[in-house]
Amino acid sequence: MENSIYQVYEDEIQLLEEEIKLLSEKYEDIQQESTFFSDEEILASIKLFQREFQGQSKGHESPSDLKAQLESLEREISFLMKFTGIQFTSHSKKTLEKSGNRTVQKHRLSGNCHSLPFQLEFQLLEMQNKENVSAVITDLSIITESGEYSDLSKLVSSTEEHGSLLLFFRSLSSYAEWYEHRRCTFLHFK
Amino acid sequence: GKMEEGKAYSQDGVLGHLEMLEAQARELALKQEEMEQQEEKLAGLKARVQELRAQRDELRAKVELQQKQLLEKGVVKDPAQPSAQTVLEWKIKSIKAMLQIFYLTGISGKLTKRGVCFCISTAYEGTYLGSYYLDILTKPEVRIQRHSVPIFIPLEQIAKKYLQTDIRRFLSVLSDHLNAYAGRRYQADQFEEHFSDRIEGTLQRNSLCNLLVFNYNVSSNRKTFLFNVKLLYGDLCCSLPTEATISCTPSAPASLAEMAAAHSEVFRHTALHKAFDSLSNAKETQD
Repeated sequence: MENSIYQVYEDEIQLLEEEIKLLSEKYEDIQQESTFFSDEEILASIKLFQREFQGQSKGHESPSDLKAQLESLEREISFLMKFTGIQFTSHSKKTLEKSGNRTVQKHRLSGNCHSLPFQLEFQLLEMQNKENVSAVITDLSIITESGEYSDLSKLVSSTEEHGSLLLFFRSLSSYAEWYEHRRCTFLHFK
Repeated sequence: GKMEEGKAYSQDGVLGHLEMLEAQARELALKQEEMEQQEEKLAGLKARVQELRAQRDELRAKVELQQKQLLEKGVVKDPAQPSAQTVLEWKIKSIKAMLQIFYLTGISGKLTKRGVCFCISTAYEGTYLGSYYLDILTKPEVRIQRHSVPIFIPLEQIAKKYLQTDIRRFLSVLSDHLNAYAGRRYQADQFEEHFSDRIEGTLQRNSLCNLLVFNYNVSSNRKTFLFNVKLLYGDLCCSLPTEATISCTPSAPASLAEMAAAHSEVFRHTALHKAFDSLSNAKETQD
């Protein structure tokens, strides 16, 4: 059939386009994940950016767009962290596998839950199916300053064992609130 | 006369012949056009393939160079000073990545024009099970405009108690209910998926998944008896049953009562989809 002559080329074109898409994403991911800029560098860039593009908008995003986007995102994350009491101080991720509808990433997350610090490392597998995204945590490793509090170390070992990241956060949250409350009460009586 | 006849005949013949030749020529021209179009399209496709192959090879080389840089220096930084735009774009992606995983903590959300849209995530151990949303308005007073919480969760009750005075507590209590429900449902689903061949009939459950009923066979002295199990999860914030009632046919031997008690213990302290494995251990000691 006539169509089959074209089909071979069309199939290859489709395969190549997919491969190109995956390769660009991989490049961008690695670029993003292995770069780091400090807060000072970012502030400096904001000032520089406004000066560089004063009056220009060549089809790059205009300075107001990028700056506005950054400010809006910072407001969002700031609200969440303030509301929940869970502050992330640093986050890095590494994409280990990305294919079709399946992504595996390794995350390193540090922060405080109210006044209790934590450091986490875990692997996150996300799969996109028709209606939603499913997520599974494996290889969870937790470091907290459990020191004198055996409750906290019990929490850490049981949640680590089952990869119960959500439970860890929820329990750490109530524990931290109780801890805060206790601290305030003691201070009150001092 | 005959001359005129002959002349007329040969005129038709010539015309006919001419028409035939014209038709042939037209057909040939069409076929030629078709072939040229085909060749053009093929050439176009070939060129596109070459173009894409080159693009793909370029990207492969780029990624390889990146890997090399990473191995050697541990970072991938442009030798030149990164532009302010690059830095800002990096930061933007960075914050987006943080926002993307915030749901792992259990409570996340987004500011809206008139309030906040909260998202409560649920999970059973390391498996995240689904999120529930609440669109909350903050003016003139705090109230829920829309939500995706199932109707059998006592949302109104919880809201009445906490929403106005302590919204964090409201979300926390709601999260406890939702997580326990999701956990119970997950256990029931896993149980059905992996143990349907071990039970007689099907697992029966209510929408809240806090009442489960099923039957399974046990053997004693080479006879089989049917156990009927009723699991009641009295604490709505818990994903383990508060009651595990096992009943058997009245004609069953007394020894079975012991087995039923042992099994009941297992069901009260083990997640349903892991209970049957523990049961086998209990069962082996009976036989």
